[in-house]
Amino acid sequence: MTSLEVHELTVHFDGRPIVENLSIVVPSGAFAAVLGPSGCGKTTFLRSIAGLITPSSGTIRFGKQLVSISSLVLPPNKRHIGYVPQEGGLFPHLNVAENIGFGVSKNEKIDVVDEMLDLVGLKNLATRKPYQLSGGQQTRVALARALAIKPQIVLLDEPFGALDAALRNELREEVCNLLKERKTTALMVTHDREEALVSADIVALMRHGQILQYGSSRNVYSNPISPEIAVSTGDVLLLKAERDASKSIRFALSQIDLKGEIELGQLVIRPEEIIVSPEPSAASLSAIVTKVDYYGHDAVLQLLLDSWPDEEITARIAGPLGFSVGQKLWVKHAGPIRWFELPHKK
Amino acid sequence: MIAIAAIPLLYLIKRGSEIDRASLTNLLFRDRTIEIYTTTILLASIVLLFSFIVGSTFAWLIYNVTLPFGSLPIILSVLPLAIPSYVLTYAWISIYPGFKGFWAAVLVLTLSTSPYVTLVAVASLRRIDFTQVEAGRSLGLSQLAVLRRVIWPQMRVSLSAGLLLVFLYVLSDFGAVSLLGVNTFTRNIYTMYRATFDRNGAAVISLALILLAIFIIALEFRLRGRRTVIKSNAGIVKTHVKIKVGWLRWPLLTLIFTYALLALGVPFWVLTTRFIQNTENIDITSLISATFSTVIASFAGAILAMALALPLGILLARRSGFIPKLAESSILLTHALPGVVIGLALVALSSKFPWIYQTLPVLAFAYALLFLAKAVGSIRASLQRIAPILNDVSETLGITGFAAFRRVTLPLAAPGILIGFLLVLLTAMKELPATLMLRPTGFETLATEIWAATSISKFNEAAPYALVLIIIAAIPTFILTRPDKSDSQAQSEGLIQ
Amino acid sequence: MRRIKAAIVISLLLLTVTACGIGGSDSQSLTVYSGRSEEFIGPFLADFEAESGIKLNIRYGDSAELAAQILEEGENSPADIFISQDAGALGAVAQDGLFKKLPDELLSLVPASFKASSGQWVGLTGRARVFAYDPRAVTTLPTSIDDLTEPSWSSKFGIAPTNASFQAFVTALRIIRGDEAAKNWLTKIVANNPKLFEKNSQIVEAIDAGQIQLGLVNHYYTWEVSKALGREINAVNGFFGPGDAGNLINVSGAGVFNTSKNQSLAHKLIEYLLTEKTQKRFVSETHEYSVLPNVITPSGQPTLKEIGAPIVNLDSLKDLKQTQELLIKVGLL
Repeated sequence: MTSLEVHELTVHFDGRPIVENLSIVVPSGAFAAVLGPSGCGKTTFLRSIAGLITPSSGTIRFGKQLVSISSLVLPPNKRHIGYVPQEGGLFPHLNVAENIGFGVSKNEKIDVVDEMLDLVGLKNLATRKPYQLSGGQQTRVALARALAIKPQIVLLDEPFGALDAALRNELREEVCNLLKERKTTALMVTHDREEALVSADIVALMRHGQILQYGSSRNVYSNPISPEIAVSTGDVLLLKAERDASKSIRFALSQIDLKGEIELGQLVIRPEEIIVSPEPSAASLSAIVTKVDYYGHDAVLQLLLDSWPDEEITARIAGPLGFSVGQKLWVKHAGPIRWFELPHKK
Repeated sequence: MIAIAAIPLLYLIKRGSEIDRASLTNLLFRDRTIEIYTTTILLASIVLLFSFIVGSTFAWLIYNVTLPFGSLPIILSVLPLAIPSYVLTYAWISIYPGFKGFWAAVLVLTLSTSPYVTLVAVASLRRIDFTQVEAGRSLGLSQLAVLRRVIWPQMRVSLSAGLLLVFLYVLSDFGAVSLLGVNTFTRNIYTMYRATFDRNGAAVISLALILLAIFIIALEFRLRGRRTVIKSNAGIVKTHVKIKVGWLRWPLLTLIFTYALLALGVPFWVLTTRFIQNTENIDITSLISATFSTVIASFAGAILAMALALPLGILLARRSGFIPKLAESSILLTHALPGVVIGLALVALSSKFPWIYQTLPVLAFAYALLFLAKAVGSIRASLQRIAPILNDVSETLGITGFAAFRRVTLPLAAPGILIGFLLVLLTAMKELPATLMLRPTGFETLATEIWAATSISKFNEAAPYALVLIIIAAIPTFILTRPDKSDSQAQSEGLIQ
Repeated sequence: MRRIKAAIVISLLLLTVTACGIGGSDSQSLTVYSGRSEEFIGPFLADFEAESGIKLNIRYGDSAELAAQILEEGENSPADIFISQDAGALGAVAQDGLFKKLPDELLSLVPASFKASSGQWVGLTGRARVFAYDPRAVTTLPTSIDDLTEPSWSSKFGIAPTNASFQAFVTALRIIRGDEAAKNWLTKIVANNPKLFEKNSQIVEAIDAGQIQLGLVNHYYTWEVSKALGREINAVNGFFGPGDAGNLINVSGAGVFNTSKNQSLAHKLIEYLLTEKTQKRFVSETHEYSVLPNVITPSGQPTLKEIGAPIVNLDSLKDLKQTQELLIKVGLL
């Protein structure tokens, strides 16, 4: 397996830059996810790694091999990549085995197809046509087909997008394990933050053709470099914060001393960092429950602080639910302070 | 490829440029030319309108209404494709001797062109995602409103291309208009060749015809707008629920039966009675050899047409812009030209190469050239329905170029290629003027035998040839009425993207 | 896939085989372009092949379309000989200088009125322009084509103005009476509302069906239509007065191409077609007139002398351009 290095990649489409100055390194054997909303350029990025789109500048390396420099590109058939497009892209006229063996040379075909059918557990469906398969089976066939050519790198484009939630988790785990077992370098693009965080070793957050933050799942979730980034990796409570006369920062939940020049800013808090309890405790503030969103495994409460009526507070609580609308309770903040200057004010 | 399609055009321009200025103005600006223009446009427009009405009504009935007798309605409404327009016209004249003039031509040409519209309309109806129809109904639209607002916009593109071919067919038809005495461009061109051997004058008139065709093609390009395939992301409803109409199905069926009576019954009745009157005089050997020749020549033509049409179809399906448009227009123009013009253009070109002149390959080439528009149309349509991602995947798997074409594109486009092949095959079987000029000497097809007998008014002797021609042409026609497997499965197989 | 491949291979093989089979030629063979239909010349050509041992590759077509094709082929024509149904098509080919002058011994067989004055083509059979009429409906026969301009004939007669035979007649009329008079006659005819047909046979059928009473046709159409229908018909031939343009005798004929490498074989064929034996067969089987002097006339027809044909140089019948312009001017084309 080999690493993937992209350096200052720019891709134009119809004269418009879709990917701009993008750099990323995926170490050998790692599973990276590019997370971004639809239209951010992530599919274009993936396709230029595959060689299906010619970039206008920048370099792409597979290990030591330079596959793309400026607009000089190695054609996709010479790159040995495993490409799993959205919705699988299975050949409708071929059956499962024929799809898997499509890129394999004749004399290896039987063995490789057998191995791959075993790998993805579709041995008994080898002669089915794609339209006779469920969505999950189609994805498995597409993955098997990509792995069959022993690719240097596997590229996955929203591989689980079309599946229902239960199947999705199961298949995701299966695919991740499979890729990790085989120590395959993989790059997946997705718009689903949970999918990216759970499966990938490295998550890259993409917006408007650029990668804004890049790191381990935990790092990008806990240490967003901007409120915008924070929103893209999970639910966020944004609170106004200003420096008061005493030079300490005041916001809804507390007042802390923080050095710096910023006068007016925003605090990013994850809802699960708000601790809720029916009894008052040290540094806790009283609040009224205004809304309860019940998700089963957890719930999200909307709260109005008695001491700070301008902003609502959101808290995620786990376990059995003991709160109802109108109830009085006590809250406190237990987590890092992430504070950012408000972009529109000095 | 464009150069091939442009052979007749270049020929006409060369011929036309040899004419002197005085005769040119004389030809183009006499009152008669205007009269011919008017007659031709009127005839083609009225036939277009009628065959649109007949074809789309039948298609809608066949697709949407539970009619009795299984696939008989569609077979009856498409089978007249197998009958050459000159045979149909002869049949009508012989049961109704006063049958003549403009409206007679409208009837005959409507009867023989509407199967084409029916076929195209049924095919595009079969491709429509039925969930959209259900969504339309659930949003409170009536059946008619669904037809107008959901179905029609999706059929428009293929239907208007089909109607363009009908229009061009009428422009180039000679059989019906000459027998019925309607002065269209094509008849005028023939008359000029026959009466004056004036090839230059005929070329000028042909160029005027081409001008008209260019105008119509440009109009269709505009009307058609951007070719977009509308995709629905919704789940797939494969079971399409037809409307139950109760007793009303009988009068509806009668519509189709009446059409079949006029377009199939009349020629069959006439030919069979003529055939029976003359059973002792049938030349079995020449009948068999003409059948064999017809099959060989039309197969060769159809295969060659597909070989030429595939790269063109790929070009048109993948690229848009000036060059593809030019290619498409020149192919369509070729379709508008009478067979005699194409024939003479190829005579002028191929007679320079004695080793190939008047051989089967040249005849096959003439067929390919004449009917390229039909082949390209259906190939392009089926190529456009192949998801581009499949080619991408194939490339990443190391399969590119011809191998990818053979393993991905060709099998997926196969149904469309087959349709194109059958259409060319069917039309080539019926072709006469180019066959007369370019067939190998002594090589008689069913069409030339029919011509030989009818040109000396031996209609009884023409009957067996005409019957055999209709029967063998009915075979590809019959296959055309079968549902295209790729259409019904297209959505579930991810062909439409 | 494999089946498609096999089909392609087989078709290509067949193509080559057929192409070679037909393309092959030996020295003792002639390529004939025949504007005369197989029915009326095929048996004669078959007998020639049998008697001479010369193989004929015969290409049938419409005379005028073949002429257009020949003009288009020019020097490259694979044909040795062109047999045409009428003099006009021969004249057009001769005008482009594609025929070689025939040897005198052939030309001398045929009277001057039935061959090109240049000697480039020679007549094979003759046919007379006549009027066919319904004997039950027509009591007073016209004696001149001018009678048809009378109001009494209005809407009762038919012509086939796009047909080569009618145009040959108009050309003859122009030569005999001059362009102005010919135009005059045509204008009056048009004013008299004739029924227009595509083919001579259709005129005879229309007379038989009682739709019209009279029509301008060639002499053999009454006989032919009756034979085709297998019964007696209500149409018989009549002749105009002696010397009337309506009695034009046109010929079918043949010419040999400059480019032919088989000149003497081609001459043999023409010679065969002009023997008294063959000419008699034409008369009895196709009901045409012989171009040789002193051969019997078709049964039930007057002799050429009795018809009183107008004297027209058939070579000049090629000049159809002005005829057509005239027909266009009066609105018949």
